Amino acid sequence: MTALLETRAVWQRFGGLIANSDVSISVGRGEIVGLIGPNGAGKSTLFNLIAGVLPPTEGSILFDGEDVTRLPAAERCQRGIGRTFQVVKSFETMTVIDNVIVGALIRNTVMREARRKAYEVLEFAGLAARANVLASDLIPSEKRRLEVARALATEPKLLLLDEVLTGLTPIEAQTGVELVRRVRDTGVTVLMVEHVMEIVMPLVDRAIVLDLGKVLVEGKPADVVRDPKVITAYLGDRHAVSA
Amino acid sequence: MDKNFAERRRRDLIVAACFAVIAALVPLFVKDVYVQNIMVLTLMYAALSQSWNILSGYCGQISLGHALYFGLGAYTTALLFTKFGVLPWFGMFAGGVISAAIAMALGYPCFRLRGHYFVIATIVIAEIALLLFQNWNWAGAALGIDIPVRHDSWLTFQFTRSKLPYFYFALVLACIAWFVTWWLEDSKWGFWWRAVKDNPDAAESLGVVVFNSKMGAAAVSAFLVAVGGGFYAQFVSYIDPESVMGFQFSLLMALPAVLGGIGTLWGPVLGAVILIPLTELTRSFIGGSGRGVDLIVYGTLIVLISLARPEGLVGLFAPRRKAAAR
Repeated sequence: MTALLETRAVWQRFGGLIANSDVSISVGRGEIVGLIGPNGAGKSTLFNLIAGVLPPTEGSILFDGEDVTRLPAAERCQRGIGRTFQVVKSFETMTVIDNVIVGALIRNTVMREARRKAYEVLEFAGLAARANVLASDLIPSEKRRLEVARALATEPKLLLLDEVLTGLTPIEAQTGVELVRRVRDTGVTVLMVEHVMEIVMPLVDRAIVLDLGKVLVEGKPADVVRDPKVITAYLGDRHAVSA
Repeated sequence: MDKNFAERRRRDLIVAACFAVIAALVPLFVKDVYVQNIMVLTLMYAALSQSWNILSGYCGQISLGHALYFGLGAYTTALLFTKFGVLPWFGMFAGGVISAAIAMALGYPCFRLRGHYFVIATIVIAEIALLLFQNWNWAGAALGIDIPVRHDSWLTFQFTRSKLPYFYFALVLACIAWFVTWWLEDSKWGFWWRAVKDNPDAAESLGVVVFNSKMGAAAVSAFLVAVGGGFYAQFVSYIDPESVMGFQFSLLMALPAVLGGIGTLWGPVLGAVILIPLTELTRSFIGGSGRGVDLIVYGTLIVLISLARPEGLVGLFAPRRKAAAR
């Protein structure tokens, strides 16, 4: 079976800055893959390239067997790529349910069905009780869950999560982890960018470490955290030697 | 919860129907022509502001150039009637279609601009159109067009003896603009527009084609405003560029919605009912030398409202939601 998502030799340059160089990764169906790396490693850039915010300078992106390299974000959503934003982007003047309806409308053209779908997703994400509250009134962890719910309402095959667990209290993060597991159990593939290693490592099936725009290491989480190259990238040379 | 929503929608519809019936009965008791004139203008501005609200309120693309579409509607109707004998009914429709097409043609470059730059573009484009019409000889240039008045008839939509036919047409127009908004509010487009207003990047990630959404809003908005312009041409039976395409019309469409509650269903109606009579009255009480006083009153009101009720006057009627929002 082919991978659900594949990037082939993707480069992204911003003027003289190379944010991604020759990145080739693949994500299989039903996997939870973690994309990690120190600050400035190019995670967010790669993420935006996959979501279709901008096209890569070079290389191609394949999704579900098709070349989506030049497709705009809205079209990729149509094909089945859902995403959240690192800095939450709720529709602040709309209620929680209305936020999710926007996502649901892509697969449900009849309003009543879109609304029903949106309620289902809110139940799933544990936000049903807050359905009629304005998005601006949610607390940060709820806003993160709203981001996920809204993306789920588009019924994605691949869900891109951009630091959804960062900055949460341990209990909130644990709820988040469980939500991600349940999302995967419904058959959705998950690619997540994350900073907090101790939360993300037990969750993911596979981790891809980016450093200085390149893929540094890729493999099972347990192996990745012990890899000297990863420790160097995160903590510097001295620690790698002592480790 | 689903039921509450449906109930609220139905209640809006019933309340609107009640208001429409009450408004329709008012002329039975108010025979004064001056007051009737104010009522016609109030209804017309309610309709215009409601239409403006679709693009600027719901979709968040603030236009201060809607006088362009108002003028286009007025000119199309007047020119088709005086030059080709086309009945105003078709003229208003043609004006609407032309305006919608032009709104999309202008939207093509302008919707790439964000925020203030878009607003500036709308002002400049409307001013350019004003200058073009002032110098377009075939369309009467700065002198404008005198629409020959024949006899009272619904066919040619001209009435000299009574204001009432205009009143009822303006009422129907206001009802249509309100109903279109009501209907769009719970449609795919309505949701897309609000999403685009709040956060275009997030909207795009959810499959909303932001550019097309803006184009749709611009077309609907321009169409309805142009129909209002066609009506106005028939109502005053004399138009010139300054009197239908001047910047003040752009403001007069925006202000009722802003005052009443931008991006809300009831805001424009509420704003128009308060502002338009106020304008007309200050104008007539202060007299010819008071040109601009109405705008001072506007300005003062807007400042007061934005300090006390930033969400607009409709906020007064939704205290619970406001409490929840705090």
